[in-house]
This record gives sequence, structure tokens and C-alpha cells, in this order.
Amino acid sequence: MTKGQLPEFLETALKRLTQAAPPDDAAVERVLKRLSPLPRQKWPLWRLPGVLLDWQFAPAWPRFAALACFAALGFVIGIAGIDRRFDGGGAPFAVAGRSDIGSIVFEPEPLTGARP
Amino acid sequence: MDDSDEALMAQIARGDERAFRALSRRHLPAMLGLARRILGNAADAEDVAQEAMLRVWTFAPRWQPLALFRTWLTRVVVNLCLDRKRRAPWVALEAAGEIVDSALGAGEKAEHDERERLVADAIAELPPRQRAAIVLTYGDGMSNAQVAEILDTTVSAVETLLVRGKQNLRRALDSAIDEDD
Repeated sequence: MTKGQLPEFLETALKRLTQAAPPDDAAVERVLKRLSPLPRQKWPLWRLPGVLLDWQFAPAWPRFAALACFAALGFVIGIAGIDRRFDGGGAPFAVAGRSDIGSIVFEPEPLTGARP
Repeated sequence: MDDSDEALMAQIARGDERAFRALSRRHLPAMLGLARRILGNAADAEDVAQEAMLRVWTFAPRWQPLALFRTWLTRVVVNLCLDRKRRAPWVALEAAGEIVDSALGAGEKAEHDERERLVADAIAELPPRQRAAIVLTYGDGMSNAQVAEILDTTVSAVETLLVRGKQNLRRALDSAIDEDD
């Protein structure tokens, strides 16, 4: 090959050497397999209002009703004193009544020494 | 149902993995081929293609359809290839297939193969951006404007890259012919 033929040869060789090879299905499958699990997507801040609007914020009435029922039940139990039999029914007074606890509960005034 | 790239990207932006798989299956073969031609290494090409598709998934909610999806993805792949500092060996000539030219005798064919191997080696030695410009122009048949968009540069800069790339290749071949003489 002479130097005069070089440009034409180069053009042909470049087209041939840089052309896409037939798709490698095995490589595609390997890459697809490596693509899982997928990472978390990055959301732009300006889309946050839209995302919040997309979420279902409709009131769930059964849940609200259940919450109200349990609140009412707690109130009734508290008022009626049904829970006292379970938590000791005035146990703090019983403990405070012991002789060794009196000095802690009724400590003298630090400055004047007066007792309550 | 609209299964265009842009429609699939809209679904991916909402976290649809099935749309992502469909889009990946559609574009992975071409992107793997492109990365392999720029890097000259199949393993690196797979890494680059994987990274590019992960970026598609991760940044889908931020993606704006300002350009064609394929152009954007090609740009991502080319940039990832250029980011790879390591100079990978070029694809072996054998991988490119045999020349079908019955007019060549055995001696001429061997000489032709040798010259193409020289070109392949010279392409491998080119600076990455020149190599990318040559692959996109000659391999994918893109216009200078398309290559400029992908390489994020001007058309005249692409023309300069191509001219310099071909000058480098011609110089390498010239010296090889001189050595033969």
C-alpha cells in the first residue's frame, strides 16, 4: 500500500473497526442480573409537594372511631376507678406510712429547720 | 399503551421497576456495544453499562425530557467511559470478524489484516475523547451535531477531535509503512 492509498484505507478501516458488534445477550443478562436490588431513587426537592399530594391523606374514619372509643374507655376506667385494684389502690400512702420513709417525705426546711 | 422511552421514564420516575427492566432491555445491548468500543474491554463495558442504568433508575425522578432519552443515555455512557482513567486494551481484531474479500490472495489478506491491526492499536492509543468521537461518528454514524451534544461540546470542537484523531492514526500508519519499506 502506498501513502496515497492511506486515507481511503483509513476511512474503510475506521468504519469497519468501530462498527457495533452483534448484541451480546449473555452480557445483557449479566448486567440485568446485577441491577437488582435497585437502590433508592433520588427525589428533587421541588417535587416534594407533589409527592405529598399523591399520598393518601384521606381520613381513615374507622381508625378515628377506634381511637375515640379507646379514649372514652380509658376515661371511664379512670373515673370509675376500676384500675385501682390492679395498681395497688393507694399503695404510695401505705409506703409513706412506714417509719423510715417519714424523714424523706417530711424533710425539715434546710434553712430554718422547721418541719412541715 | 405508550411504551416510548419517555413514557417509560415517567413510569420509572414513579418507582415502576417493570418499566425500568423494559427500558434496560431495550437499550443495554447498544450501550454495552458502545462502551466496549470506547473502552476496548468487555468487563469494563459491563461495569459502565450497569452504572449508567443505575443512574437512569436513581435519577429518573429528576430527569427532564429536554433531549431524547437515547441521546441522554449515550452521553451518560460516554462520560462514564471517559471517566475511566485506565487505558483498557482495544478489542482484538479477531473479535471484529473476518474480512470478506475474495479478491485478496493469502499474502495480501495477511498484509491487510496486519494493517488493520495497526489501525486498531492506533485507535487504542488515541486520547479518550478523540476515540469516543471516532467511535460515535464512524461506528454509530452520528452527525457532528449529535456527537457534540453527547460530548457536551461544540460542532467545531468535534471536527477538531476527528481531524486530530485521524492525523494521529495516519501518523501511526505512516511510520509503520516507512518501517516496512
